[in-house]
Amino acid sequence: MAQPQADHAPQADHADVRLTVLQRIANLRAWLFLAFLILGFEAWSRLDFGGSFIFNPYNLQSIAVFAVVPLLIATGQTFVIISGGIDLSMGFIMGLAAVVAAHVINWAGPVMGLPMAVLFGLLVSVLVAGLPGIVNGLLISRLRVPPFIGTLGMFGVARGVAFLLAGGTTVPVKNAFFSGLGNGKILNIPYIVIIAAVFVLLMQYLLTQTRFGQHNYAIGANEQAARRAGIDIKWHILRLYILSGMCAGLAGFIYAARFSAGAAQAGEPLLLDSVAAVVIGGASLFGGSGSILGTVAGALVIAVIQYGLVFINVQPFWQFISVGVVIIISVLIDQAQRQFGGGRQSE
Amino acid sequence: MKRRSFLGAASAVALSFSLASAAYAQDAEFTIALVPGLTTDAFYITMQKGAQAAADALGVELVFQGAPDFNPVTQVPVLDAVIARAPDAILIAPTDTTQLIEPLRRAHDAGIPVITVDTFIGTGVYQTGAGDADFPLAYIASDNVLGGRIAARALAAAIGGEGKVYVSNVNPGISTTDQREEGFKAEMAEFFPGVEVLETQFNENDANNAASQLQAVFARNPDLKGVFGANLFSALGAANGVQQAGQSGVIRVVAFDAPTSIVDNINTGLVDVAIAQHPAEIGYFGVVAAYAHLTGNSIPVSIGTGFTIIDKNNVTDPDVAKYIYSD
Repeated sequence: MAQPQADHAPQADHADVRLTVLQRIANLRAWLFLAFLILGFEAWSRLDFGGSFIFNPYNLQSIAVFAVVPLLIATGQTFVIISGGIDLSMGFIMGLAAVVAAHVINWAGPVMGLPMAVLFGLLVSVLVAGLPGIVNGLLISRLRVPPFIGTLGMFGVARGVAFLLAGGTTVPVKNAFFSGLGNGKILNIPYIVIIAAVFVLLMQYLLTQTRFGQHNYAIGANEQAARRAGIDIKWHILRLYILSGMCAGLAGFIYAARFSAGAAQAGEPLLLDSVAAVVIGGASLFGGSGSILGTVAGALVIAVIQYGLVFINVQPFWQFISVGVVIIISVLIDQAQRQFGGGRQSE
Repeated sequence: MKRRSFLGAASAVALSFSLASAAYAQDAEFTIALVPGLTTDAFYITMQKGAQAAADALGVELVFQGAPDFNPVTQVPVLDAVIARAPDAILIAPTDTTQLIEPLRRAHDAGIPVITVDTFIGTGVYQTGAGDADFPLAYIASDNVLGGRIAARALAAAIGGEGKVYVSNVNPGISTTDQREEGFKAEMAEFFPGVEVLETQFNENDANNAASQLQAVFARNPDLKGVFGANLFSALGAANGVQQAGQSGVIRVVAFDAPTSIVDNINTGLVDVAIAQHPAEIGYFGVVAAYAHLTGNSIPVSIGTGFTIIDKNNVTDPDVAKYIYSD
């Protein structure tokens, strides 16, 4: 949570002018990054390949599909990071939800028909994903366990349970409606991209237009002040980690739809990508700042780099290096911003 | 016999999580430990079943203990704990060709015979007096280079012997998947001059990434004809990429390994061919080799197990279906 910066909080009161300018740049920096990257790939693609990179609907669609699952996790992670916490268990909660969705949909198919079985699978997998969230929330809010440690423990528990339920293998799903949902399109837009867009807009509303969202920023910026202002921090933290668990649950459901299989380890490689997306999107790991729209840009930055480098035919190892470099640059900007302007926003 | 009924009651996975103490019974003549590359994988779980079948037949105790991921950092402590219990022999799938040499030498120095299964230490050629990793008695595995060659033949046949293909691989530095790629490229270079093998794409075992890579390679090479997925998630992801690109049936997918989910993909046409290893065979002959050594017989220094090529035409054949990794 937010103890570390409670001492420096008053900084946020001065340097108003500089702060707002820097803040605007900070809020935009992920989108600037994205524009810069796309420009670079576009130029390279025209010179080397002789075609457009970005004005190619196929490329746009591929990148969007690629970004969906990491973005769903990153959306939940954004809330947690703004509050000054971190949720390391999301990757395996996603795997758990994917396995649960696969089992439930297979079981429910003959009982209630294919479309209803998918809805039922969505409901059960997202609810099950909320359970580790409840434990995380209780550990962190009631027992004062640091989020890093509490969710690391849940990382192990969710992983073990997911592998137990899956029997150590991937669980195939036999449901044509489900794989249609994961791979179908309308007007050339994949369904899962539409689902992700609607979900992200809802989360944007939750973060910017509701009391829950405002409390989240307040707790991340200065927990003591938030407590003095009468915010029920324990109740907020509990709901926060249930929310992040459920985001991971939705990601697992979508993953299972796309690959027609639930796999316990599905989300493992995505966890750190999700944290990277949030940080590239302008959030501070110390809490108090960050936005959903920034995270969207962050997730797209990672997807564009990884897709683009394959497209322009760069040697594979450069992919690791470039994602790493972008993350480091983002954190450097965050540090500079903190040094000059306090680096926190409260809305 | 009492022990067998206990095993019947416990599922394979529950067994893998149970403590070794439950398996160290008093009545068996020998205790053989099997340390897999990771415990949470259908390949090794199937290997365990084969090993258990041999153990039941020979009346020896089998202990199955491993780490949840394929990593020397987590495998070595498990190995140390297994050595501390002084089993009569150790079967292990080492997670690194170099980093596991010293930890396994501790077992060797303690007088415990070591046999490697699936993966190897050093060069995989043992009992030659050369190098510092020749002390294991035997290496029992599928020939992954050969597996890669078989995959290349299957893919070349599927695309009519010409066109662009690439390898979707996990990460560099894993002995088995590196060998599959090596065999695949060698076979294509030697026998299929019409096939152009593009740059390998590494997906870090992330199906989402593998799918995106296929789409990008296809965007760049609209004449892409095929892809070889060197492990489960590489193949699963590549197959999904083909589907997303609307190229099902045009871009052919050959998958290495055959868990139950790949079989579904063969049935739905997402995957054209799966190359199944025989993990149960590896486990069975591992235990048999250890038992033979413990009872004073000589054993071969290398045992190669086979492959089965599974496609739409034979996937329902019970003689083929038995090679699908069960959970």
